[in-house]
Amino acid sequence: MSRFITIFVSLAVINNFILVRFLGLCSFFGVSKKLSDALSMGLAVTLVMVVAAVVTWLINHSVLIPFGVEYMNIIIFILVIASLVQMVELYIKRTNMTLYNAFGIYLPLITVNCAVLGITLINASENYSIAESIVAALGGGVGYAIVLIIMSGIREKLELTDPPKSMRGLPVAFLTAMLLGLAFFGFGGMV
Amino acid sequence: MWWIVAILTGIGLALAITILIINKVVPRKVQGIEKIEEIASVMPGMNCGACGHPGCFAYAQALAANRDSIADCKCALVIREPEKLEALQQIFGQTLDLSNMKRRAVVQCGGNSEVIFNYSGAMTCKGAAQLQRGNKQCPYACLGIGDCVKVCPEGAISIEPETGVAAINWDKCTGCGLCLLECPQKVIKLVPEDTKIGFLCNYAPLRDIPGREKCEAGCIHCRKCFLACEAGAITWNKEKAVPEFDARKCTLCLKCIDACKQKVLRVVVDKEGKEVVACAAVPERTK
Repeated sequence: MSRFITIFVSLAVINNFILVRFLGLCSFFGVSKKLSDALSMGLAVTLVMVVAAVVTWLINHSVLIPFGVEYMNIIIFILVIASLVQMVELYIKRTNMTLYNAFGIYLPLITVNCAVLGITLINASENYSIAESIVAALGGGVGYAIVLIIMSGIREKLELTDPPKSMRGLPVAFLTAMLLGLAFFGFGGMV
Repeated sequence: MWWIVAILTGIGLALAITILIINKVVPRKVQGIEKIEEIASVMPGMNCGACGHPGCFAYAQALAANRDSIADCKCALVIREPEKLEALQQIFGQTLDLSNMKRRAVVQCGGNSEVIFNYSGAMTCKGAAQLQRGNKQCPYACLGIGDCVKVCPEGAISIEPETGVAAINWDKCTGCGLCLLECPQKVIKLVPEDTKIGFLCNYAPLRDIPGREKCEAGCIHCRKCFLACEAGAITWNKEKAVPEFDARKCTLCLKCIDACKQKVLRVVVDKEGKEVVACAAVPERTK
């Protein structure tokens, strides 16, 4: 049990996908303008991460390792994630429109999100069991969502301020991200 | 070597077949999903977001939910292609009225802001805007030097001598948007051709909060016009804190104009469709 907690906290906070591993940065700046968008995006990334972790674990252990072709995992994982997202989207679209609207456009957009590919590759390289993979994916998704929500909260407040013209928009967001990253490095000594 | 190719091909095929099976098996439980998917198939599918909806599918949803909104179909990529337009018309069983796709430019400034210093540099708005955002007290005001006059291919813009603000002749304006690009103050906006009430303030509420005293005819975001409207034609844009007008619901009762203490709102087109103040810059000062 303590191992699960360690994995979860490690991926959610200490080795946070955005601020420490620098994965999924384009969506971090693209979607962190509004709190509601950030929530949708965080939810969608968490869901896709968990589904992708399960399926890629199965493929890794039933196909890639027995045939000795682990070096092909990047290309196969990309293929699997892309089609998985399509399947999930198709299913949600036809069965639950409320949920589909909550995810919005972000579900198809994260087909090529590197944070999702990152979690599957981390799971493969760390030799996690299937349960550990799921916990790691949950941790990664939650960590991603937390940072996105914090950032969007700050950026909503930044809209009210009057920075110099050259700093408006992205530049000031970059500085905010830097301070946020420094703050998250404080978690480094936790485990 | 060959089994590596076989594995990759096998996984790819398996995934493709699974998607195909899901597409066939999963029932369409959501009401009206067939129609939404039908409309979505006409859309360009590039999710550019220019229509104001997050993606083409969301736009198809909005169109399916409100049949009337077909009239303000904002997707230029659909409208430009005759086959797609034809397909959309067949789905709805009605011909599209594209008349209110037309836009006209409006100068969103009443010209009430005081001149605070004499500008004697290069006589362009762009030059004047470099110095403390122009020589008027309000940093969002029309400077009235006339960069837009020079750029207008139709000769529709002139500077009102009384207010010192650009005025646009709607008979000549084609809504090309060249003046929008030229204006350094971003005071010119494109509005639908059937706009009846003009909103004449460019004051951005989220910046320079202590700025209300800068102009006596500036919007103070009191929401009085929104509360006064009985026809439901005014919606309040919370993010920008400005009213938005729906010309199709507007009955021209003029209650919003009476309610506005700052005189920011003006009638642009009257009941007969006749232009009252095309330019939206009106020679009427509160001082």
